[in-house]
Amino acid sequence: MTRILVVEDDKNQQELYRQELSEEGYEVDVASDGKEAIAKVQKERPDLIVLDISMPGMDGIEAMGKILGSDNRIPIVLNTAYSSYKDNFMTWSADAYVIKSSDLTPLKNTIKQVLENVKQSGS
Amino acid sequence: MARFDQQTLKNTLAVVLAGGQGERLYPLTKDRAKPAVPFAGSYRIIDFTLSNVANSGLRRVAVLTQYKSYSLQRHLQLGWNVFNYELGEHLSVIPPQQRMASVWYRGTADALFQNIYILEKEKPQYVLILSGDHIYKMDYARMLKYHIEKGADLTVACIEVNREEASRFGIMQVDETNRIIDFAEKPSDPKPIPGKPDAFLGSMGVYVFNTEELVRQVIADAKRPSSHDFGRNIIPAMIEQRDVFVFNFGEGAVGGPYWRDIGTIDAYWNASRDLLEASPPFVLDDPRWPIRTYQGQYPPAKVISSNRNSDCGAVINSLICAGVVVNDARVVDCILSPGTVIEPGAVVENCVLMEGTLIGRGARIRNTIIDKYVHVPPDLRIGYDLAEDSRHFTVTESGVVVIPKELPVEQGYELPVRQ
Repeated sequence: MTRILVVEDDKNQQELYRQELSEEGYEVDVASDGKEAIAKVQKERPDLIVLDISMPGMDGIEAMGKILGSDNRIPIVLNTAYSSYKDNFMTWSADAYVIKSSDLTPLKNTIKQVLENVKQSGS
Repeated sequence: MARFDQQTLKNTLAVVLAGGQGERLYPLTKDRAKPAVPFAGSYRIIDFTLSNVANSGLRRVAVLTQYKSYSLQRHLQLGWNVFNYELGEHLSVIPPQQRMASVWYRGTADALFQNIYILEKEKPQYVLILSGDHIYKMDYARMLKYHIEKGADLTVACIEVNREEASRFGIMQVDETNRIIDFAEKPSDPKPIPGKPDAFLGSMGVYVFNTEELVRQVIADAKRPSSHDFGRNIIPAMIEQRDVFVFNFGEGAVGGPYWRDIGTIDAYWNASRDLLEASPPFVLDDPRWPIRTYQGQYPPAKVISSNRNSDCGAVINSLICAGVVVNDARVVDCILSPGTVIEPGAVVENCVLMEGTLIGRGARIRNTIIDKYVHVPPDLRIGYDLAEDSRHFTVTESGVVVIPKELPVEQGYELPVRQ
């Protein structure tokens, strides 16, 4: 089963993602900030990471640098309430950038697309 | 459509790669990075690239350092603290930040990948990527103008090299519009310029990128198996899909197309010899293109001759810097850096002596590079018996002896005293 690590500080949103992505057939794990995400990635490599940017503690941009620094093949989908980060070069290492909304369809479609791209590039 | 104007220079960040180990320049790089190696008496190698930057009108510079950067950083602090931060100008010396990786730079492209944060903070429109270990004079503004007029994503500066040199360069093929259609890094069987069977287009390692394109390329490169090198990986990956052009060095060169990569001791030696020619191919005193450096405070150079009719107290065909004292000694075809002292009776021929060197009474030295603060004891001979010299010092293929910095020569060296 495809494993997704959702990195999100808001408890309600964590639950929402866990529920909805599980329904899509993914195995979902959750981390509350960048540091916890790094620890989880090191312990068990997920197939994809959904990463919030603005979080207390280590933010998503710094965490992404560290995660890709140790394993540059893990696909990352940035998932943020702010569109302004999109112009920030530091976010360009991500495979995709999704603006949060109550409707998770765009996120689900993006996850599907990114996993498809990874499959096609043969990794 | 972008146009070249005053804003172009303000919107360009020059990034100088100054992190190479310089192993082939050892022992001159024993205690310093290659760009910090002294050259031409008063200068460090990086001064030539930085002078090009300043003379081209560029005022935003990032120098990426890595190994043994103390000496380089100190030099930049002392000699290049000339940009006005209040006007948006700066020269920043940046050691590896390990934001994007926990390793040192794995190649030239990785150096930029690991510094995407700097590009984000600076947000320049163009990035000019330079190497800190080349000797040349070039107006980068002309290359930027060309880059914009071509509508290029990447422009690569190139020089013509011969077949022997070609195996050390990235060799390019271009179409009639100067678009690069083939790029091979250090090929064993290089393809010549059409119509010139013995001439090849070699990359100088000088690049102009549109910033967004650069960021996309170094990220893509970081995510695939790669040696993370502009020549080996980025350019070949770009030429089919993007607009990549060459810029001929001849169109940007100032005062003649002289360009040298100071990669080896012999290259260092040959470039030093060039400066001593009566009409050198590379001049240090072009008022249009001043070469800046840091120089310590020294009194004027002094040549002492106690006997006006003798050969001693003579300096022939040499560069001599401030603070040099030639005291009843003979100096021929040499570069004497600041504060070097040649004591009575010594004969120094064909040598590069770096700052603070002392040549003792009656010593005879030839074909030798002596790094800083070496004191050569009286009556020593160096450069006359290479087999003997090579027991103590580095001797290059072409027979140049190199004595490293601060080496206490009298210890462990049995003095072959002059007969």
